[in-house]
Amino acid sequence: MKDLAVRLAALDADASAAVQVIAYSDGLVEAGAGLQSIVRGAAVLSGCPARLDDTARRVHIRMRPDGVAAPDPAPVSPDWPHLDLGTAGLWLERDGGPGPVDAMVLERAASAARTVLDRTRGRAPVADDPAMVELLIDSSAAPESRLRAARLLGLSGTASVLVTYAGEVALLTSGTEPPLIRGGLGPAVPVLDLPSSWQAARVAVRFSAAGTDDDPGDLLVRHDELGSLAVLVAVPDPGSVPDVRVLEQAAASTPWLPTTLHAVTTSSSLRAAAALLRLHHSTLQDRVTQASHLLGWNLREPHGLLRARLALTLRHLHRSTAA
Amino acid sequence: MTTVPFDPELAAALTVISEQLPPVITPEMIVPMRQGAALAPVTDDDLRRDGRFTVEERAVPGLDGDPDVTLLICRPTAATGTLGCVYHTHGGGMIIGDNRTGIGEMLDLAERFNLVVVSVEYRLAPETPHPGPVNDCYAGLLWTAKNAADLGFDPDRLLVAGGSAGGGLAAALALMARDLDGPALRGQLLIYPMLDDRNDTTSSVQMEGLGVWDRGSNRTGWTALLGEAAGGPDVSPYAAPARAGDLSGLPPAFIDVGSAETFRDEDVAYASRIWQAGGQAELHVWPGGFHGFDVMVPSAALSQDARAARVRWLDRLLGS
Repeated sequence: MKDLAVRLAALDADASAAVQVIAYSDGLVEAGAGLQSIVRGAAVLSGCPARLDDTARRVHIRMRPDGVAAPDPAPVSPDWPHLDLGTAGLWLERDGGPGPVDAMVLERAASAARTVLDRTRGRAPVADDPAMVELLIDSSAAPESRLRAARLLGLSGTASVLVTYAGEVALLTSGTEPPLIRGGLGPAVPVLDLPSSWQAARVAVRFSAAGTDDDPGDLLVRHDELGSLAVLVAVPDPGSVPDVRVLEQAAASTPWLPTTLHAVTTSSSLRAAAALLRLHHSTLQDRVTQASHLLGWNLREPHGLLRARLALTLRHLHRSTAA
Repeated sequence: MTTVPFDPELAAALTVISEQLPPVITPEMIVPMRQGAALAPVTDDDLRRDGRFTVEERAVPGLDGDPDVTLLICRPTAATGTLGCVYHTHGGGMIIGDNRTGIGEMLDLAERFNLVVVSVEYRLAPETPHPGPVNDCYAGLLWTAKNAADLGFDPDRLLVAGGSAGGGLAAALALMARDLDGPALRGQLLIYPMLDDRNDTTSSVQMEGLGVWDRGSNRTGWTALLGEAAGGPDVSPYAAPARAGDLSGLPPAFIDVGSAETFRDEDVAYASRIWQAGGQAELHVWPGGFHGFDVMVPSAALSQDARAARVRWLDRLLGS
């Protein structure tokens, strides 16, 4: 059964052509076709080259009417039939006025492309229009406005809020690695729950450390991983807690103390802590003895380690409050 | 039974195609299909391609006193060097079509590989049952090989090609040429060939009522050709090449087929049996392809890849 006269390319400007454009476009969406297929469909149906450009996402797809991919870096012409798709645009490269089915082809292809972009954009880094982000983390804003903002930012599925130590707010789509900066990360939540992720991120950032000898610890703190420690954020004046004051005083005269305590309280053994600090095991033993003496509690006992860990944590909170 | 999903682009096109071509072709539809516009008409101008081909029709003797057979002969005018020849048997389920059906891709290949295209007008079933159609094809092949010098091609570069029923006929020609001491063939290009009248493979059952040329249509075609004998014990391999007991000593075969069509399993089996017999075959199963997808949706990515694979095979076969 070859050479049947069913040629999509042979469409005329009659009603059946319109029906075929709709049937073909709907079929593409139903079958889960990708952007390439959608742009190819637009080219085949309209009988002229079609292109989709999304400079923000560095997408350039251009198809000839015979369905062959033919990328062309030349800029688009303002005269070509065109539809806007947020950051992307869809063009039919037709000079001298639109063809009979161009408008319908564009509209159908744009709608199909939007479906694909919405589906795939979740994996791309999110645009961070500050006003939009602000709206998304504002629980008092109307849900419709927040959903609209999410659409404009290309957000779908879940996302989490990142608050940097400098106080900036950014959104991360699920699966995206956070940047290597000091900050706190809220849990991944559906778009409408982003205000809660933001609150959590604001808590988490206070547990972050500068990652220096004086302030050792994690640059980026995930609220999910804090567990019960998160409640410490409610401590009114962490700097005034006696253990923290003792720690501050001792650290002032003993520069190695903070890193040593951090290593000892976060490692599974003294040997592992020594390796982390790149110290000989016996050197670390000496330091632990000295640190126990300076602090006034025994770091060789689990309880002493817990006190040291809490003191370090409260010290982070004290310092981030001060900042 | 679970069906094989169609490729997204092909699925979309199928929604349009099905309006004009239902999956199931019944015997009553044969005559209307021949009269209607089911097959795209190809004019002499189309064949000449702005003077790049000369076109001629020749009547040559039929086999064993059969009526004359008409051959459509298209010669590339710009070709230099040694020409080859592609002897084409058209598709159409044994029941429709003429020697211009599917000629477009043959002309494309001819331009690319310097080939004379000879396309045979065999008589159709059910008016002419087996062995009439395949004998017409064989008669034309004998004449073509014998007249290679006149036609201006190197007889070492003669291959048979066809799609669908034409693929089955091309496969049968390779068997006949082997068995009857016929012309040496350089290769056999079998495009989703129709090979097995038994019509009972998993793929034929699986895709019944779906896509293009389903199991019911296939029954219509085979019954037209073989009558009551279809699917029975005594069917000649020259009618249904899948019936051949011996697939050794055949020219290199190219076989392609869609994964979502009736012919998938019989075509895969044919390739496997050629290998088992120590022969050379190249097999492509295009995922989500329905029957004739590359012709009906030529723009689809899968169609482009399918055509390109045939070109690459010929590149190697003809050593150009």
